[in-house]
Amino acid sequence: MREEEIPYKGIEGIPIIREPGNAAKVNRGSWRLVRPVHHRDKCTRCKICYIYCPDAAINWTPDGPEINLTSCKGCMICAEECPTGAMTEEKEGA
Amino acid sequence: MQEFKSLKDIPEQDYFTGGSSTCAGCGPSLGLKLALKVLGPETIIINSAGCMTLLPLYPNTPLKASWIHNAIENAASTAAGARHGLDMLGDKDMNVVVYAGDGATYDIGFASLSAAAAKNERIIYICYNNQSYGNTGFQWSTATPYGSETKTTPRGKENPTGTTVVNKDMLKIMGAHRVYAATASLAYPVDFLNKLGRAKERDGFSYIELLGACTAGWNYDPRLTIKISKLAVRCGMWPLYEIEHGMLNLNKDFSELKPVDEFLNMQGRYRALPPNGVERLQGLINEHWAELKEYNGQRYV
Ligand SMILES: Cc1ncc(C[n+]2csc(CCOP(=O)(O)OP(=O)(O)O)c2C)c(N)n1
Ligand code: SF4
Ligand code: SF4
Ligand code: SF4
Ligand SMILES: [Mg+2]
Repeated sequence: MREEEIPYKGIEGIPIIREPGNAAKVNRGSWRLVRPVHHRDKCTRCKICYIYCPDAAINWTPDGPEINLTSCKGCMICAEECPTGAMTEEKEGA
Repeated sequence: MQEFKSLKDIPEQDYFTGGSSTCAGCGPSLGLKLALKVLGPETIIINSAGCMTLLPLYPNTPLKASWIHNAIENAASTAAGARHGLDMLGDKDMNVVVYAGDGATYDIGFASLSAAAAKNERIIYICYNNQSYGNTGFQWSTATPYGSETKTTPRGKENPTGTTVVNKDMLKIMGAHRVYAATASLAYPVDFLNKLGRAKERDGFSYIELLGACTAGWNYDPRLTIKISKLAVRCGMWPLYEIEHGMLNLNKDFSELKPVDEFLNMQGRYRALPPNGVERLQGLINEHWAELKEYNGQRYV
């Protein structure tokens, strides 16, 4: 149902966010102490890293995972769970 | 909905983005990301005050579905109200889903949850259980396991156990409301999302309780969120089972449980739990597991 179809006039001053998923533009990269690095040659495209990223910072492409460093907080779940060592860790700013 | 057989079947669309202010490696955030893959954008999520309230912070939201922030006491009644309103408007397809913490579920919002379940309202209630009042700094709730340290159950000379109260058996309580009740784990996303898919198609109340590993409160390296979630299932701390029409179905059976030590040793909240505390906890786990094995496939509540 679209908003204008709802028989409700709204109340002034209620904070309504109208752009779905606009937090994607917020930079959380500054939180990172370490960053994940993907090695395509070792990747079996099993999707494990993509499924388990809590910040949806891994996009799934026909070519496998693609890390979005604006959203990645550096938790390193992806590297910990990757079964082939295709996701490794690098110190931020090194 | 078709059941997923492996990770590869899980939809590639996300209705959840990065950019929120929850901790790096946060289990409950991952739970919602996964849930939205099955629920989709035609969903109203009703959240009670807690850590997940931090997901949308005006003027930004990681969600591509609707969200109502609610008082901690009454997420379930808000959800029931939303359902009735939608039904009156003839909108049968919108999913109405509660995403609430264990403090809100087991304690403060229990009355409204119990009423909505007893009335078999057509909503899905997901409790993300981080076993504490996480957002206010990790205080004890009735979901906190025996032996865990919290801010209000500190370990000390007089009380080396930390939490001495045994947590509520919430699945049994919800099962006794004659609704669908199931546990789920982040380390078993196929099982979790299939349960959610079934709940979505049910014409009544569904309760799914997801163990939400909490890096800050449980005090572990954020990279271990999935490892710890998996161990919780393997050692019987968090068995995967469901109750429908009072019948028990154990979803992951093991011929032998792993000893609980490995799970405890990975988390700061159990540091210095004395051996007799570990023994008591292991006893509680064994007792619960034996009960599940005994009633598997039979009437349980
Ligand atoms: C009636 C009431 N008491 C206390 C609070 C303060 N409070 C806000 S969030 C929170 C923690 C809720 O715990 P839980 O439901 O487990 O969610 P979590 O923070 O762990 O995600 C508390 C106690 C409140 N909002 N309302
Ligand atoms: S987990 Fe590893 S192997 Fe699997 S898709 Fe990700 S990087 Fe590739
Ligand atoms: S480090 Fe964490 S946030 Fe970054 S891509 Fe890996 S799983 Fe996602
Ligand atoms: S305290 Fe725990 S539940 Fe809350 S945001 Fe951090 S990891 Fe998530
Ligand atoms: Mg909690």
